[in-house]
Amino acid sequence: MIQRIDNRFTGILFLAIGMFALRGAIAQDEKPVAPVGRSYALTHVNIIPSPGKKIEKGTVVMKDGLITAVGTNVSIPSDAIIIKADSMYVYAGFIDGLSRTGVTKPKDEPGQPRPKDPGNPPAERAGITPQNDVRNWLNPSEKSVEELRNLGFTVSQVVPYGHFLPGTSAVILLSGKSSDEMVLVDQSGLYSELTGAQFIYPNTVMAVMAKWRDLYRNAMLTKNYQAMYAANRNALLRPQNDRIQEAFYPVIDQKIPVVFKAEGLLETQRVLTLKRDLGFSLTMGDLREGFLIMDKIKSSGAKLFLSLDLPDEGKKDDKKPKDKKDSVKTGTKPKTALDLEKEGLEKRKKESIARLTAQAAEFSKAGMVFGFSVLTAKTKDIPANLRRMIAAGLTEEAALTALTTAPAKLLGLDDRLGTIENGKIANLVVSDKPYFNEKAKVRYVFVDGNFYQLESKSPAKPDGKTVAKGNWSYTTETPNGSNNGKLTIKDDNGNLSGIIINSMGKETELKEVQLSGNTLSFTFEFSMGGNTQKVEVSVKIDGDTFEGTLSPGKFGNFPMKGTRDPK
Amino acid sequence: MKKILLLLICFFGLSAQAQDKGSMLIKNGTVLTVTKGTLPETDVLIKDGKIAQIAKNISAPQGVKVIDAKGLFVMPGIIDPHSHIALDAINEMTSPVTAEVAESDVVNPLQINIYHALAGGVTTIHALHGSANAIGGQCVTLKLRYGTFSLDAMRMEGAPRTIKFALGENPTRVHGGGSNIVPRTRMGVEFVIRKSFSDAKKYREDWDAYNKSKLVKGFRGAPPAYNLRLETLAEILKGNILIHCHSYRADEIMMLLNVCKDFGIKKITFQHANEGFKVAPELAAYGAMASVFSDWWAYKFEVYYSSAYNAAILTKNGVVTSVNSDDPEMMRHLYLEAGKTQKYGALTDEEALALITINPAKQMGIDTRTGSLEVGKDGDVVIFKNHPLSIYGVPQFTIVDGIVRFDKANDPADMRLWADPKQNLEEATFYEKGTDHCMDGTEFLFTSDKK
Repeated sequence: MIQRIDNRFTGILFLAIGMFALRGAIAQDEKPVAPVGRSYALTHVNIIPSPGKKIEKGTVVMKDGLITAVGTNVSIPSDAIIIKADSMYVYAGFIDGLSRTGVTKPKDEPGQPRPKDPGNPPAERAGITPQNDVRNWLNPSEKSVEELRNLGFTVSQVVPYGHFLPGTSAVILLSGKSSDEMVLVDQSGLYSELTGAQFIYPNTVMAVMAKWRDLYRNAMLTKNYQAMYAANRNALLRPQNDRIQEAFYPVIDQKIPVVFKAEGLLETQRVLTLKRDLGFSLTMGDLREGFLIMDKIKSSGAKLFLSLDLPDEGKKDDKKPKDKKDSVKTGTKPKTALDLEKEGLEKRKKESIARLTAQAAEFSKAGMVFGFSVLTAKTKDIPANLRRMIAAGLTEEAALTALTTAPAKLLGLDDRLGTIENGKIANLVVSDKPYFNEKAKVRYVFVDGNFYQLESKSPAKPDGKTVAKGNWSYTTETPNGSNNGKLTIKDDNGNLSGIIINSMGKETELKEVQLSGNTLSFTFEFSMGGNTQKVEVSVKIDGDTFEGTLSPGKFGNFPMKGTRDPK
Repeated sequence: MKKILLLLICFFGLSAQAQDKGSMLIKNGTVLTVTKGTLPETDVLIKDGKIAQIAKNISAPQGVKVIDAKGLFVMPGIIDPHSHIALDAINEMTSPVTAEVAESDVVNPLQINIYHALAGGVTTIHALHGSANAIGGQCVTLKLRYGTFSLDAMRMEGAPRTIKFALGENPTRVHGGGSNIVPRTRMGVEFVIRKSFSDAKKYREDWDAYNKSKLVKGFRGAPPAYNLRLETLAEILKGNILIHCHSYRADEIMMLLNVCKDFGIKKITFQHANEGFKVAPELAAYGAMASVFSDWWAYKFEVYYSSAYNAAILTKNGVVTSVNSDDPEMMRHLYLEAGKTQKYGALTDEEALALITINPAKQMGIDTRTGSLEVGKDGDVVIFKNHPLSIYGVPQFTIVDGIVRFDKANDPADMRLWADPKQNLEEATFYEKGTDHCMDGTEFLFTSDKK
């Protein structure tokens, strides 16, 4: 048994800055509804009916949400609204394999006491709610629906918020006026993440995996017994209703897959371990490091959606030293061993970034079928990320396949989605240049035959003034998991001050609060067990959000994000 | 050459060859077999990962790599019976009994500690659950096949299942002190273990009865509820899972021996056992084993009383004894730790080397495969410059399954398998935080904010 104060202290530290917090309800913008009309003809357009094919100057006719005619010699019905798309490009609407698009995040319930027996918490606290259905949280006016649709996505497989076993997923159309209207396939899969509960069972990944096996095997036994009971109920003990177990039945029957978030190399393998042990059919989403264990993934037969998130490309201004003193030094002195070591480490980072960017290309070259998922991708980065993947060796055709025909097939919807063909659902994206061209802009999107016209926005005006003052909700990622809290910044004639509030509701005064340009920085201290730790925070404010890092000294740097609370 | 090796690792990985076995001939070394004496100027031939021949003047089969070990010492790969490296989770501290959780699920083959351990001649480790719980999780025996990205490829295939138990201050302060549940005292720890075994016995009986009646034609009836925790505990009672118990005091060691006796459990190793020397004859009589630190104690109250002669006294009393690290740094010089027993207790070379080779292998149930240089055993070998028990001993090559995993002359500065783009440069290479602690993950209980 070893004890080191450092590590004990780290744990305390993360707890102290760890927070649960109310997330302000997100204001819902009332958008004008897109023009209503169920018959359209898109004319003089370059049609890409499926990856690798092209019809020049063609017409696509849609009626009542279905594609009714495609080609160059097509008669346009008299009731059709004609949309001239001269020299534009039309593709089948894109499909996202895993996200929370249109899903409302339930409010956190702060300040819940730790259960009396943390080893045996209520199922909900443990994250075991597989009986929940994402349809209960679907909201067509969530901003994420419009944002993703504006990129040309028309369909998402969406999952509830939560961890471990949050509920069943659904395949939705990014259009519709109500939850039910959006749904294309309900209960498309049972969603799971290998994430434990904080300070209660199952807390660690190993306990989550153990509990997974326990739940699944119990469900199998109960299911069999229920079948025996149904066949002849006389003189048999009545099986109890159990919604948690029943949620596994369609998985056991192989009617639906388990949809797992499987980001990293190790997480992916742990998911595969569960599949191997229990034998369910598996869909893995948000894959990032699968290329390191390609054979293992291939032989598992799992359905794959690769993450559309990529790491930042890294600093481009490496050559420019930060201040002049350094430049004089480096200009005259030979590189030190430390410089060389840093260069070497930096180089390895870049190699990693290059490989992560090339994941889709590697999968494609290995002949694997995959779609994409946007779960953790920043929506605005998606087109650029696709271009980076293409630059790293993914062919445009393969990229389009992964956005259209492949996910349609993986979701079992290729009879209705993925190509521009008669009889398919009228999901289309129209761009003014070929989609993967850097200058291309999406002009029109059709979802389920509903027409959306994108206004070409002028670049956002820099209003020059960043406001730090106000109430913020923040999230940090530490080795102890994700934590939420509150931050209040006051501005007294340019003198900034503020407080930070942790999960226990403990307030700590901020020091050295400064706003320079759009960078807000401050420090705070806390004491625990005779130790005092200074924590430095630096974030960049972009309107009503911020992003940056939280640095508790030698313990490292951790990402911190925030949003301004609604007034 | 270094660069090329690194590039190969970076770009192709060694995953394809991870489970591969290598062949090589180690020529003219002083072979310390541990179990069959010391053989001067002798060759060791490894074929497809297994030791094929130990003799003088073996001629190299065609295409087999030859290592000239003239003037060097060849010994079996070092085995650390108590480690927490290469794991992503150590304590499931939410319950005093968590037999169902398994470290094999959370192996992390990327940790740089693994390579550091190889540099200290370690080829096999017993990666343990922490000591927060009276009955903790199942442990995993790993071969240090550093270079693989595959979590499965690290596991020593066919090694017996083992489980971590813990007595004394750790479980009582985590659960009694931290969560205000049983156990609060040493009596409570005994109660928790006895109750778990009794529950498991009942569980097994219920299932056996159900399985038996199921065979009767026309049987109709409900199965007992499946419970992975009780399943696992029942396997301990059957003797299919070996117990490794964190313990310090002689009284608590005797307590658990009595519990084992009552439930018919024969295979147990006491980890740490700083007061093991007080009950050495009793341990030997029961066939219980002990895994100790060479000279480390007084880091908390219950471990105030100990002795650097512990390992020697246990050994002389016939207890199968090993020396462990419980720490990634100490793991890199277990041969020195073993050497200390020659200063404190005058153990022979073979007795001292056994503490870090054949004895831990026996405790982990892998002694037919590793722990000594014998024909038919795994090709896990360390080649030392100077005798490994001398303070001048330095590992030159560490070989796992006939594949060189550490070569001192060819040791690139950055041996990480994967560089995380999000990681700070300063944290990149040397130290893995939070991966080496018996009590990892429990810290929050000991703060004033715990509620």
